[in-house]
Amino acid sequence: MNSQPEESPVLRVERLGKRYATDGTFALEDVTFDVREGELLAVVGPSGCGKTTLLRILCGLTKPTAGAVLLDGRPIVGPPREVSLVFQDYSRSLFPWLTVLRNVMFPLRGSGLSKEGKIAQAEAVLREMGLNDVGTKYPWQLSGGMQQRVAIARALVSHPEVLVLDEPFASVDALTRAELQDVLLRVHSTREGRAATVVHVTHDIDEAVYLADRVLVLSPPPGRVVDTIGVGLPRPREQTSTRSSAEFLTVRNEIHTLIASENALRSSLSADR
Amino acid sequence: MTRRALLGLRSPLLAIAGVLAALIAWQLWAERSDPFYVPTTTEIFGAAWSLWRDPDFLSDAAESLERLAAGFLIGSAIGIGVGLLMGSSSRVRRALEPLVDLLRSTPPIAIAPALLIIAGFGNGMRVPLIAFGVCFPVLLNTVDGVRAVSSEVRDTASMLHIGRLDRTVRIYFPAALPSIVTGLRIAISVALVLVVVAEFVGEGGGLGGYLEVAAARSEFPEVYACILFLGLIGYVLNRFFVLVERHLLAWHYGAVGEQPA
Repeated sequence: MNSQPEESPVLRVERLGKRYATDGTFALEDVTFDVREGELLAVVGPSGCGKTTLLRILCGLTKPTAGAVLLDGRPIVGPPREVSLVFQDYSRSLFPWLTVLRNVMFPLRGSGLSKEGKIAQAEAVLREMGLNDVGTKYPWQLSGGMQQRVAIARALVSHPEVLVLDEPFASVDALTRAELQDVLLRVHSTREGRAATVVHVTHDIDEAVYLADRVLVLSPPPGRVVDTIGVGLPRPREQTSTRSSAEFLTVRNEIHTLIASENALRSSLSADR
Repeated sequence: MTRRALLGLRSPLLAIAGVLAALIAWQLWAERSDPFYVPTTTEIFGAAWSLWRDPDFLSDAAESLERLAAGFLIGSAIGIGVGLLMGSSSRVRRALEPLVDLLRSTPPIAIAPALLIIAGFGNGMRVPLIAFGVCFPVLLNTVDGVRAVSSEVRDTASMLHIGRLDRTVRIYFPAALPSIVTGLRIAISVALVLVVVAEFVGEGGGLGGYLEVAAARSEFPEVYACILFLGLIGYVLNRFFVLVERHLLAWHYGAVGEQPA
């Protein structure tokens, strides 16, 4: 499918650091990891651990103060066209003045496609997200879960190599969250090669384990990589059977323990001071 | 939506009762006052009726409305244009903010004498004066609207490599439109005030000029009838704006689950 050898990662994050100019505190320190082709990597960590900062750097929206992110071996300097981002708050990221179809078509501006081509491509990705016959509606006429599907469709319409999601299911109810998790799993499994590469930022450990091939655990601020846990759960995954399997519980407990001990370590350090 | 609701008369009986009460109060006051200065309601409505059929008065009214439209369009075009620039570029904002703050704090009418010297009496002074007054509420609301665009929308635009002009026209302008329309509604009232005041001086007077002349000639029924017409013009313009808003911003009121007042 591509000329690069299997081992070369899609994304390589090297000794990444971010120090805020305003107060000199570190959001991220010495963060290093790879994202392989076709992999679904989840990033978890306590709030304020720099998850969002990390994600913004991956998307070229924020510049790191140390280290680099390489996309296909090239350093990211500005927002790369190969990366698409889905935000937590669909109501703030979709354009309320455009219909669903026009929202999804928006990223195809300047793509050189004919109008019919753009419509066809947008309709195809809407169908892929299980959204039929809502193209003429406005986003706010749909339920939260449907709106987030539209947001994911908009992110996928330009065929990105990497899909980055920032706590995408945190603003919906539990049932819708489970449904959207399965939508993401289906999208991930039906796409191939580089296009199936996903970085999913979440604070929900169970969600991370349920979705991911590997879970990157960040420490309390400043964010550092505590460990990367491989999730060996078989695919396809299923809400009840996967989540009740012994393997699932082992991995999630391992991550919980890791985070708890990090927190304990951190508070004992600050108590010593 | 019923026509009644469109006119803002949700309870027509009460509204009629309110108007009647005001008319009765006026009549009682008129009967106890000097009839020369306070004409009765029938005198006022009689004057209004003959003014309505007087082609000179109607051409005065048309003149005022033309000035209002010209000043409003020029002022709001400048307000929206500069507002979009200031809202989308922090450099432009930092450069222009002190100037705008100073100018918007200046009572528009204070610049009238200066405009008179530069442009003379007539439309040369009046249209710029109205445009000046209209410009600032529109500009400030446009800037607010653009600045309120969510960081998610801004980031989306950056991720999609949308150019500056495209971003302003396709994203910032529609996103700020609800706020811009609020500014336009404030501006239309300002414009109506300014058109009347600007017509008090100079020749070729429009409704303001008519008012001035009628008052000087002590034609008090005509004075009050003209005030009544001006009030009606303001009312109709405001309702017209509500209709435009409902149509143009249906997406916005749908999204926030409200209707314009």
